Amino acid sequence: MDITLNVNGRPEQFSAQPNELLVERLRDGLGLTGTKVGCDTGQCGSCVVRLDGRSVKSCLVLTASAAGGEVATIEGVTARGGELSGLQEALRQEHGTQCGFCTPGMVMALGELVDATADGPAPTEPEIREWLTGNLCRCTGYHSVVRGVQRACAASRDEVPAGSAASTAAVPEV
Amino acid sequence: MTTVTGDAPAGRGGVLGQPLDSREDPQLLRGEATYVADIDLPGTAHMAILGSPVAHAKILSIETKAAEQLPGVLKVATAADFTDVMPLPCIWIPGGVESHFPPHPYGLPGARPVLTGDTVRHVGDPVAVVVAETPRQAAAALAAIHVEYEPLPVVTRADEALADGAPQLHEAVPGNLNAYWTCGDKDRTDAAIAAAEVTVELDLVNQRTINSPIEPRGAVGDYDPATGEYTLYASTQGPHNHRFLLAALVLGIPFNKLRVIAPTVGGSFGTKGYLYPDMPLVLLLSKALGRPVKWVDTRTGLMSSTVQGRDHRQHVTLAGTRDGRITAVRCTSYANLGAYPSTIGPGVATALMGRSISGMYDIGAAFCEVYAAFTNTVSLGAQRGSGRAEAAFLMERLVDRYADEIGMDPAAVRRKNLVPEEKFPYDNGLGWTYDSGNYRLNFDKAIELSGYGDMPARRAEARTRGKRLGVGIATYVAICGVGPSTRMSQEGMLGGTWESANIRIHPTGEVTVTVGSASTGQSHGTIFAQVAADELGIDPATVQVHEGDTQKAPYGQGTYGSRSYSMAAPAVVLTARKLKAKLVRAGAVFLGVPEDKVVYEGGAIHEEGNPENTKTFAELAMAMWYGWGLPPEIEPALDETTHFDPPDFNYPFGTHVAVVEIDELTGETEVVAYTAVDDAGNIGNPKIVQGQIEGSIVHGLGQALMEAAEYDENGRLISSDLGHYALPRAADAPFFALDKTVTPSPHNPLGAKGAGEIATVPPAAAVVNAVVDALRDLGVRHIDMPLTPEKVWRHLRGESQ
Repeated sequence: MDITLNVNGRPEQFSAQPNELLVERLRDGLGLTGTKVGCDTGQCGSCVVRLDGRSVKSCLVLTASAAGGEVATIEGVTARGGELSGLQEALRQEHGTQCGFCTPGMVMALGELVDATADGPAPTEPEIREWLTGNLCRCTGYHSVVRGVQRACAASRDEVPAGSAASTAAVPEV
Repeated sequence: MTTVTGDAPAGRGGVLGQPLDSREDPQLLRGEATYVADIDLPGTAHMAILGSPVAHAKILSIETKAAEQLPGVLKVATAADFTDVMPLPCIWIPGGVESHFPPHPYGLPGARPVLTGDTVRHVGDPVAVVVAETPRQAAAALAAIHVEYEPLPVVTRADEALADGAPQLHEAVPGNLNAYWTCGDKDRTDAAIAAAEVTVELDLVNQRTINSPIEPRGAVGDYDPATGEYTLYASTQGPHNHRFLLAALVLGIPFNKLRVIAPTVGGSFGTKGYLYPDMPLVLLLSKALGRPVKWVDTRTGLMSSTVQGRDHRQHVTLAGTRDGRITAVRCTSYANLGAYPSTIGPGVATALMGRSISGMYDIGAAFCEVYAAFTNTVSLGAQRGSGRAEAAFLMERLVDRYADEIGMDPAAVRRKNLVPEEKFPYDNGLGWTYDSGNYRLNFDKAIELSGYGDMPARRAEARTRGKRLGVGIATYVAICGVGPSTRMSQEGMLGGTWESANIRIHPTGEVTVTVGSASTGQSHGTIFAQVAADELGIDPATVQVHEGDTQKAPYGQGTYGSRSYSMAAPAVVLTARKLKAKLVRAGAVFLGVPEDKVVYEGGAIHEEGNPENTKTFAELAMAMWYGWGLPPEIEPALDETTHFDPPDFNYPFGTHVAVVEIDELTGETEVVAYTAVDDAGNIGNPKIVQGQIEGSIVHGLGQALMEAAEYDENGRLISSDLGHYALPRAADAPFFALDKTVTPSPHNPLGAKGAGEIATVPPAAAVVNAVVDALRDLGVRHIDMPLTPEKVWRHLRGESQ
């Protein structure tokens, strides 16, 4: 079937099988390999992209069902080699990544949290952890990721980052 | 021995010991790094592997015609297509052997064939492969291959596999016994136990776990008929090691005709250092088809084919005095090696576990025996903290049991038995000689930081909220820095376990470091640049690091057992020193002064007492590149390599304290506080190490609370995807209280000890100790992992498991 998708602001037209998964279209069809496949069952969150603003696991979305939608992938967050977004920069400062395989999915999922809470109070630590429940990471233990989100939220509010490695005695540096 | 607390001493150039940001992170955060699945060579065909659906069966026939006729299918192959390919070798045979390779690995007992032709031995055992134009076509064709199986009886537990009448896995291995391995002094230990005032015993199940890197494994094979060279891109943590194993022991091709490249690797934790059937298969099929062949595993495929971890059933005994002095420890363990000996699994299940069981304690007598058995399960390998975690678990459970028995505080018992500082280097009587340590300092720091003294009040407060609070301590020593090649040969490891580094200073003064190691997420590009820059006294931004490509990097075993910083980084230091010495020799010519008047400082040389007479690093590099005016004894250019083989292992250690709360209504265990004080010697980059320690602890908590590879009575892996195998998620742990002590290792020029996985070693013991502590007044003395809510709830209700 013929499908139109808007991917990272660019219209894409192609023909897809009815059982084609969105992650297959993005990776194999459009060459956007920043989106990762980790588990095939919607458990790990490495394939999270944003569809019409909401983060979704692209291994659980049929391409056909996304037809006409706006898809944002990690490639659309920053230009190749370009300046990092506020969230990415905060995650960098907190070393919120190790092997990096789960990282694009986390950036996409957490991007929605940061956007959704931009106009109100910053999300609390339990809220961040709850939001991250759909994304598995085996390297970091999540702590540096949580601190990265706290830092990003604080930076966007011109606050001292709460709970960041640099600023808290509760998390002494190793 | 020097003991330093607090911050690690800064390196000579002031760069080492600093929490530099990881230079790899921006690329990872932008999703730009290339993993195996992202490699797309022109003309690539795609491979899929058919794994056995049954755990043990004779293959009566394989019918492939229907699959061959499907659209896009290029080739269907079975074991019959690979009769001239040698089986995948096991290179760590416990017990100690001569340090040379068998000339040919045919006949190695139980060695795994590239594809299984006659008998399948576990669910997922590969029996056929398809290569097709697209991954979907290849996967679809698997369904059209018809295999007729004649089921055989199944055994999945090591102790049951050794019983009379058990199903037999390999004709060459009667009774399924791969190895009976011992260490320590049996007679002395038995005598000490017989004479003891107090003995305690436990039966423990250290359950099988699945490492679960988030990136499944993958491999791309590319054969070039013009040169006869093979290139393998693989998610490997040891590209050099894989080249050696594949070229010399499996394919029988010249070493220099195989290039192995590890692109960005998405986590490993031990599992990606092993040789798997897909690696030779993509190479052989690429040659056969004249196209690159790519294979990427699925999650279910990973869970039923990538090595699994732990899996011991143990009977353990500790003896001591009434006043808390431990006098002996003994362990009898049944280790489950799975269906085939993996690349180094048998060594993990024996030496790494057995020689570590006495941990941080000064015990007069210790003995461990391991029966390593084959069963109808996935092959056993390493899992983060492998061997050491199993050892710490049994010892720390025993110490708590002992403290309970004699009515003494578990912290006090531990403190009383720690190896005293003056006894280092310390022979633990089990085969390890601990290099350095101040265990009491480390222990006291952890106990204080955890607020151990406040626990009674916190316990009472928790009860008012319907929660039972428990506190558990676990200490550990983790053997790292594998290793001294001669020492490893005594352990039965076939292969050089040294590490090397090359440094090339370019004419413009920039520096390239190449190492044999290969990162699986440990920011090697950052840390090796830091090490080289520190030693050379230059800006780390001018240092570029390459690794993971056997054609570019000098030989090295790779990343495992927390060895890169204490094995490869020392090679970088020693290479930088060679270059500095050469620059001083040549500098005498350039400065026109005797060699002993040349001072190398801050990345430049000057004449002693005359700073005006100087040459910068860039000037020197250019001059050495031109080579003009150099005396004949000094070669032009700046390019040096060092092969580092340390005199012995290094032994990081630490103390962790877990505080849990158990919900009385649901049995749910929540880790509410966690304190870790680890000692990894001098630390090169505290930010990177902190990340590894946090991740390690969560990994350990996973084993304690939720992870288990479960097989049913037919040998089917029930936990075959992440819906049936629980991994810790972000809400499963609070922020940790972390601190360190610093006891440099004398066995390398950095004073470094392993760090990457060491904090995985104690958490399971700390958490189980804490949960048992919380339930002690109910008469609970032990609960097997994982501590699922249902299991704990049954204990709360007075029911056994």
